[in-house]
Amino acid sequence: MSDPGTTLLGRPLDDPDLLAATAGAPDYPILPNATVLKIGGQSVLDRGRSAVYPLIDQMVELKTEHPLLIGTGGGTRARHAYTVGTGLGLPTGVLSDVGSAVAGQNARMLGYLMARYGVPTVGNEAFSALPLYLSEVHAVVFPGMPPYGMWHPTPEEGLLPPYRTDAGVFLIGEVYGCKQLIYVKDEDGLYTANPKTNPDATLIPRATVDEVEAMNLPDVVVERPVLRMLKSARYIRSIQVINGLTPGNLRRAVEGEHVGTIITAD
Amino acid sequence: MAETFGVKDVESTLARQTLLDADLVRPVNRDPIRLLPWLDVVVLGGRVMDRGGKTVTTLVGELRKAMKSHRMLVLTGPGIRGRHVLGVGLDLGLPTGVLAGLVAAEAETNGHLLAGLLAADGASYVPHATAGHQLSTHLAACPLVVSNGYPPFGLYEPPPPAGKLPRYGSDAGALLLADSYGANQLIYVKDVDGIHDADGKTRKKITTTEAAALRTLPVERTVLELLDRAKHVRSVRIINGLKSGTLTDALAGKKIGTLLTAD
Repeated sequence: MSDPGTTLLGRPLDDPDLLAATAGAPDYPILPNATVLKIGGQSVLDRGRSAVYPLIDQMVELKTEHPLLIGTGGGTRARHAYTVGTGLGLPTGVLSDVGSAVAGQNARMLGYLMARYGVPTVGNEAFSALPLYLSEVHAVVFPGMPPYGMWHPTPEEGLLPPYRTDAGVFLIGEVYGCKQLIYVKDEDGLYTANPKTNPDATLIPRATVDEVEAMNLPDVVVERPVLRMLKSARYIRSIQVINGLTPGNLRRAVEGEHVGTIITAD
Repeated sequence: MAETFGVKDVESTLARQTLLDADLVRPVNRDPIRLLPWLDVVVLGGRVMDRGGKTVTTLVGELRKAMKSHRMLVLTGPGIRGRHVLGVGLDLGLPTGVLAGLVAAEAETNGHLLAGLLAADGASYVPHATAGHQLSTHLAACPLVVSNGYPPFGLYEPPPPAGKLPRYGSDAGALLLADSYGANQLIYVKDVDGIHDADGKTRKKITTTEAAALRTLPVERTVLELLDRAKHVRSVRIINGLKSGTLTDALAGKKIGTLLTAD
């Protein structure tokens, strides 16, 4: 398209030619050296110090060489509040704030534990200071829930907010053009079924999004919107899901080793 | 090691679930209640606001009169300045999430302009957090509240399947919020009579499936998919704000413009 700038002023924004033209717009990654970690809520933080302290030790060791954006999950309290909230018939938008509150508690707790190393917790509204924190202390903690609130898109079925903390952390990694994204959970990766409830589940060490979707799994280890968004992403084209309870796994994954399941956009 | 103080799980129907197994989540699914069933939501499109002058003051007059009998959330779009900042941002190589926040700032500007004209009537512009969490209280103080049509996605704007343009603009944002509240109605005030079919005729009524087949629409295409998933706001009205009296008629329930309905 010649002169996309003028076209942009006049044409509907869903014009297919215009969209195709913007696909060719340049990409300037904002924080290309940062590694994004998602520390699971139910899988890690709810377990207390036995799970959390060893991860803090690894993150503190890693952060100088690998600046970290550390997003937190929700967990069991979110599940309880979602259960009460849905029972009362409260809409998805209200439940979204529930998820945000729990991810916020977890971010505060993790931040206090890392405070002695200079690592702050930043809320959504404080992201403008991210570059300063990363250059000075090489890590920040943030709550993983996207701040959709009453604007949270309705799920296909039911009331639970579809974009939760896996999705929120993905979106931060993508918008900042970060180097890599690792989900720190309590299973070795993606399985053919939920390994906690199904003894026949087998580990899938690597798959593309299309392959995962073709498997039609009843349960997956990472929120389904993440798989969809991976395919549209310009920066985060693969993720690794790892078992953060295995000693040293986080360090190995951040340093580039394949220790869990790698899911790629294509 | 000292003993563990925490207990991993607090018991609930959803405890220990990934929440990604639809069969296991289904027991908690139900239809949501309407939080503000009497709320009328009006979107003043950015292109309408850009006209300024008599167009805007006429609409303001109609809103002022409507305050006597309607409790309204009036949301503004970005207009052409939004397109301009989008172009600059794209050229600089900035990502979709940054672009979304930049365009939303223009919708906010239009909100401030509108609120200024209604200030003496008790109306104010409120930011997203207030529109999302304290709308009730503000409407109790004044039956008209102005806010930003854009959703507060910003950096968290989902990457679009094609290109770099944000997909959730002021039309989409208004529908998400209106449906979340279980609002009474949603009216888009645009600068055309409604949705025109392939022959250029204005449709009185059209479904999302029929609208999806049209090459151009006066509302964001995202509205179609959101309407199909909406829990309460299952139809929206599109009217021509350049014609005096259309907003008054639409608020009163008259069948003008186009009614776009979920399938």
